Amino acid sequence: MYKKLSVILAALLVFSMLLTACAPKPEAPAVEEAPAAEEAPAAEEAPAVEEAPAVEAVKICQVTDVGGVDDESFNATAWKGIEDAIADFGIEGKYLESQQQTDYEKNLNAFVEEGCDLIISVGFLLADATAAAAEANPDQNYATIDVDWLDFSNLRGSGFAINEATFLNGYLAAGMTETGIVGTYVGIAFPATTVFMDGFVLGVRHYNEVHGTDVKVLGWDYEKQDGLQVGNFESLDDGRAMGESLMDEGADIIMPVAGPVGAGTLAVMEERGTGWLIGVDNDWSLAYEAQADFVLASAMKNMDKFVYETSKSVQDGAFEAGTWIGTLENGGVGIQLGATMADKIPAELKAELEELEAAIIAGEIVTK
Amino acid sequence: MTTSTKQMNHGAFEYTSPTRQRTMGVVFLLIAVMVFGFFSRGLDTSLVTTFRMSPGGSDVVAPDWIIPSSIVINILGFICAALGAYQLVRGFKNWTNLVLGLVAAFFVFSFLTWAAAEQSLNLAGLINSSLIKAVPLTLGAMSGILCERSGVVNIAIEGMMLSGAFVATLVGSLTNIWIGLLAAVIFSGLLGLLHAVLSIKYKADQIISGTMINILATGMTSFFSAKFLQKYQQLNNPGRFPTWDIPGLSKIPFIGPILFSNNMFVYAMFVFIVVLTIALYYTRWGLRLRAVGEHPKAADTLGINVYRTRYVAVVMGGMMAGFGGAYFTLGSVGRFDEVMTAGRGFISLAAMIFGNFVPAGAFAAGTLFGFSDALASKLAILKVPIPSEFLLMAPYLVTMIVLAGVVGRTQVPAADGVPYEKE
Repeated sequence: MYKKLSVILAALLVFSMLLTACAPKPEAPAVEEAPAAEEAPAAEEAPAVEEAPAVEAVKICQVTDVGGVDDESFNATAWKGIEDAIADFGIEGKYLESQQQTDYEKNLNAFVEEGCDLIISVGFLLADATAAAAEANPDQNYATIDVDWLDFSNLRGSGFAINEATFLNGYLAAGMTETGIVGTYVGIAFPATTVFMDGFVLGVRHYNEVHGTDVKVLGWDYEKQDGLQVGNFESLDDGRAMGESLMDEGADIIMPVAGPVGAGTLAVMEERGTGWLIGVDNDWSLAYEAQADFVLASAMKNMDKFVYETSKSVQDGAFEAGTWIGTLENGGVGIQLGATMADKIPAELKAELEELEAAIIAGEIVTK
Repeated sequence: MTTSTKQMNHGAFEYTSPTRQRTMGVVFLLIAVMVFGFFSRGLDTSLVTTFRMSPGGSDVVAPDWIIPSSIVINILGFICAALGAYQLVRGFKNWTNLVLGLVAAFFVFSFLTWAAAEQSLNLAGLINSSLIKAVPLTLGAMSGILCERSGVVNIAIEGMMLSGAFVATLVGSLTNIWIGLLAAVIFSGLLGLLHAVLSIKYKADQIISGTMINILATGMTSFFSAKFLQKYQQLNNPGRFPTWDIPGLSKIPFIGPILFSNNMFVYAMFVFIVVLTIALYYTRWGLRLRAVGEHPKAADTLGINVYRTRYVAVVMGGMMAGFGGAYFTLGSVGRFDEVMTAGRGFISLAAMIFGNFVPAGAFAAGTLFGFSDALASKLAILKVPIPSEFLLMAPYLVTMIVLAGVVGRTQVPAADGVPYEKE
C-alpha cells in the first residue's frame, strides 16, 4: 500500500515539475534558420556587386527569452529588425528560443561556437547571462535589448526614453477625452515603470497649457512620484478592478503600465462599450485585435530599429560598444495610433502631435 | 462568531467580561479621537464632499449625495465618543460587537468624507467593486469549507482555481462559455478527486498533496498557455458572461446597479451561500459531513461511511473551486494569462478560516477583504497622503486586525487534516 503510494506521489511530483520546468515549449532548442534567409540572395544581388567587400554574409544571432520569437512583443519586434536587415543588406539571421532560464547561457554559448558576428540577447532576464558571456568571450560582439547598465568593450546595450512617447500619448489623451479626466496605473512602481507615467502626466499638462483646458490625470502624482499601484504584473482581474475604479471616477482614457494586467482594463471598456486604452511597449491594437476599437494608441519601444542599426554597424565593420538610447529622434520610441482610430482622431490633433514630436526632438520641450 | 457561540453556551446569561467591556469602550473613544484629530482638524468648514451614487456604465442614475464635510465628520465623531462613554459606564452587553461594527463604519465613512473633501468619490462603484472582488474569494472559501468540514485540509484551492480558469478559457473558446464553465467544474472536480485519493485512500500528508496540485496546476497551465493560448489567440477568446439585470429590482437607484445588475457569478455566489448553509446545517448529509470532520470514529461507529463522505466532499470542493476559477476568465476578463489568479486561492483559504468555516462568514470575510482592496484603489486615486505601498497592505492589515480583535479564535473541525484509519 505505502509502496504504491510513494510510487504514485513520486511520479506525480516528477510529472508536475517537468511541466513547470518546460514552461513554454517541449522541443529541444534547435537552431532555426531564418525563413527569410533564403530570400536574402535576391536582395543581395544588386548592391553586393557595388559594395565590393565580397566577404561572406555577416551572421546576426538572436537569443530570445522564454517568450519565444513569436511573442508579439519584445522578441518578435527584435526579430523584425533582423528580418529587415536581411531584406535590406543580406545578412544571415538566426535565432534560438530559450525554453527556460537555464537555456540562456547554453544558447549564448551555442552561438559563440556557431561563429556569429553579433549575438543579440532580448530582455532584462538575460542581462546576467549576457554579462557573463561578454566577459568570458572578449572577442565576441554582443548587443542587449532593454538592458542599458552593462559596461563591456564588446557589448552594446540599449534603453528607451519612453517618456518621450508617453508624453505624446498624454497629449493625445488630453485632446481626445470627453470627460476631461484621464487615468493611469502601474503594476509595481519602480523607476523603469514610473517614467511612463511621468511622460504621460507632463503630456497632459502640456495640452492644458497650450489649449487652456483643465484635463485631470488620476492615478499618478508627478510631484510626489506616487500613485495607483496594482502590486503585481499578473492579475488581470485586478486590472479590471483598476479600470472600473478609474472609470467610475470619470476617467475615459486609461494608460495601464502593468503588462498583461492592462488587458483586464480593456475588458471593462469592451463590456461597458466606452472608453479608450493606451497600450505600452508594443501596438496593443494588434496584440489585442478583438478589442482594437478600444485602443486609442500605444507608446512603442521600437527595438527593431536598434537591432537593424547594430546589424548594419557590424556589416560595415563599425560596431561600437556603449549604450544606445531609443528616442523619438532616432525612431527608437514612438506613438502608434490604434489600428481603427485613423478617422476618429481629428486631423488638427494629429498635426499638433507631429509638431510636438518635432519640438521634442529639437529639445524645446522637456518630457521628464 | 465567538460571541454567538458563547451566547449559545451560556444561554440566557449575558456574557461580556468587564475587561472586554472596558477595552471596547476605550477603543470607541480612541476612534472618536482619531476622527477629530485626523479628519476634522484643519478641515475648512466650507468644503463639501460629493458622493456619486451610481456606478459607471449603469443607466440607472441616482442623484449625487453632497454633504458638508466638516459638519458630518464632527457629528460622527461625537456619536463615536458618546457610544464609547456609554460602553465604559454601562456597557452594551450583547450588542457590543454590533456597536463596534457601527463605530468602525462611522470611522470609515468619516475617513472617506475627509479624503474626498472638495472632490468626489463614487460610493456605488466602491461598494460594487467590493462585492465583485468578494466573488472568487467566497467561492474559493466555500470550496475549502466543503473539504475541511469533512476533515480534509485543502490548500490546493489556488491550483484548482487556476486550472479552472484555464480549462474554462480553452473549452469556452472552442465551444461556448456554458460548456467552458462545465468543463472547468469537471476538471477541477478531477483535481479534487486526485487530492481525495492521495489524502483519503493513501493517507498522504494533505499539505504535500495540496502543494503538489498547486505546482502541477501552475506548470500545466503556464505550459499550455504559452504553447497554445498565447500563440493562437482564437483559443484565448471565450467571451464573458453578460451582465444580467434582474427585472424591476435593477431599476432601484443606488442598490439596483450594485446588487441586481451583475453577471451570473455574483448571483451564483449568493445561491451557493444559501444552498451550502442549508445543506451543511439542515440536512442529514450536512450533519454526517460535519460529524466525519469532527469525530470520524464516532461517525463510523454509527454507520456513516467516512471514506465516501470525504470523497464526495473533496470532489465537490474541487468543483466549487473550478467554478470560482472560471470567474477569472469567463466572468472577469475573457482571456487567460499565466498565473492570473495571483494568489487569490490562498486568500480564499484565509477567508475561510477568518469566516469560521461558515459560508456566510466566508462571504463577510471576502467582502471585507474586497472592500479594503477597492478602498485602497480609491484612496490612491484621491491622492490621499498615504504612500501607495501602505495602501496595498490595507486589505491584509484590516483582515489581521479584525481577525485578532473581533473574531478571536476560530473553531477548526476537530479531525481536520487527520487521515482516518478504519480499524
